[in-house]
Amino acid sequence: MARFEEMSLLLQKGKAKDLAAMVQEALANGTPAKDILNESLVVGMGAVGERFKKNEVFVPEVLIAARAMNMALNVLKPALAESGVEPVGTALICTVKGDLHDIGKNLVKMMIEGTGIRVIDLGVDCAPETIVAAIKEHNADIVCLSALLTTTMISQKDTIEAIKAAGLRDKVKVMVGGAPVTQAFADEIGADAYTSDAASAAERARAFFA
Amino acid sequence: MNSRENALAILNYEKHTALPVVSFGYWPETTEKWCKEGYITKEESDSYIHEGDNSVGDQSIMKKLGFDFNWNSCIPGKNLFDPPIPGVVLEEKEDGSQIIRDGFGLICRVRPGTVSIPEHIGTALTGREAWEELYLPRLQMHADRVNREVFAALPAPADRSYPIGFHAGSLIGQMRNMLGVEELSYLYVDDEELYVEIVDTICGLGYEVAKGVMETGVTFDYAHFWEDICYKNGPLVSPAVFEELIGPWYKKMTDLFTAHGIKIVSVDCDGWIDSLVPIWLENGVNTMFPIEVGTWGGNIGDWRAKYGPQIRGVGGMNKNVFSRDKKAVEEEIERLKKLIDLGGYLPCPDHRIAPDAKFELVAYYCELLRKLS
Repeated sequence: MARFEEMSLLLQKGKAKDLAAMVQEALANGTPAKDILNESLVVGMGAVGERFKKNEVFVPEVLIAARAMNMALNVLKPALAESGVEPVGTALICTVKGDLHDIGKNLVKMMIEGTGIRVIDLGVDCAPETIVAAIKEHNADIVCLSALLTTTMISQKDTIEAIKAAGLRDKVKVMVGGAPVTQAFADEIGADAYTSDAASAAERARAFFA
Repeated sequence: MNSRENALAILNYEKHTALPVVSFGYWPETTEKWCKEGYITKEESDSYIHEGDNSVGDQSIMKKLGFDFNWNSCIPGKNLFDPPIPGVVLEEKEDGSQIIRDGFGLICRVRPGTVSIPEHIGTALTGREAWEELYLPRLQMHADRVNREVFAALPAPADRSYPIGFHAGSLIGQMRNMLGVEELSYLYVDDEELYVEIVDTICGLGYEVAKGVMETGVTFDYAHFWEDICYKNGPLVSPAVFEELIGPWYKKMTDLFTAHGIKIVSVDCDGWIDSLVPIWLENGVNTMFPIEVGTWGGNIGDWRAKYGPQIRGVGGMNKNVFSRDKKAVEEEIERLKKLIDLGGYLPCPDHRIAPDAKFELVAYYCELLRKLS
């Protein structure tokens, strides 16, 4: 009998090595990879996300949980691929042109990965044309644009304009976030979604595939 | 009463004759832009960029804009690395960028021509061995860390036109600068013993330096910490860890300041700081700065309702209005009026003024604020 709850708790406490070992053990005992993913890892990350939204835990707890999740996913991936489990979709994520501050972007990336979406991290300071090219290359379903500064948030608008000009706007959902970004700004520039924190971003991204 | 006397009177809920117009400086790109636009001279801009807050250039720029003084007019002891960690270029990239190790041991990518916070990609503080070799020897107390000549040269309180603070450094922000947010979080889980040792080393040195400075007999108008350990959704350190490990060091240092007659202790922390505020208050830090308004609506009024007059503030003026128009400035002044009436509060731009600011709107803000006196 796989110890799903125990694995979920290890993830929530950020005990990455212990979690990876337990996942390995569960696989060796014949537990389906999909069950480990859905019954322990996704559940655990969801619990962290909920507590984060309620301000019961903060960035450090999310970071250590996400690191544990990623380590466990690395153990699971071969088994998931073998059993035909595919990501539900693909998201691109980056900070926009001129912006090098990527803590928020990294958090959102890890949280979205925890929902079963493949995330391609384009890094920082991404020009609109780079993002447009990446949408085509990876056949992306979602683009997540992060900006820390009031002076760079305008690049989110430029990127959306470039996506429109490339004829891709109807093919991708655009999510925006970052310290100075608001729902009003997201509406003004024509983004599909704005969320105020990483956990909400992951939820919203997953909802696009519902 | 001059600006110093008025500022201290306001923060201590005492009678005053005028509301000082307080500054928190500018981005270097802002003074460069204002220089190109002809509002300030190249000498003023260069002086500010190279010598910083309260330099000759800053004094001159403040005078042109209408500010009375910069809250960051603080004199530090030497509680950083001594000797400094040498910055080194680790790699030259084909695109012209460089991978460097900076003065905190952080590994960063520096891109030519890009104006932003450097891109942090790693740290040299990879474990105990690196700590003991590169960092620990540079964080030891010695007499030269207290620059007696600098403190002896400070004007006596009665001769000061603006308040002069002691810059007490950082108790956790410096550790964040050494590790980055992610590695700071991981280290607590991976090696709690080392985490605690680093905290105690940095804080212990900060205390010894502060003690040495206080023992020179110089009188300060306030003490000031910086942390920058929060962002838009809260702290970048667990409040429980902050309370357990950092809180006692704050208490020890603020007790020292109190014993030397310092009543106002401020902390510079950007972001949504609400979950750390009670820990600071409990441990003797009574003035929040720069009270970023942000998307979360930070303001002294909400804290005053919750914590009473023990909490003071400097900041809370939404600097984003400087990129808009006169009407936006007037509306911001109207919002501030109610907060000023609470007492114990000095309005000040909620961070350094960014390059999108229009010089004439900053001057207009100063003019309107002065009229409130």
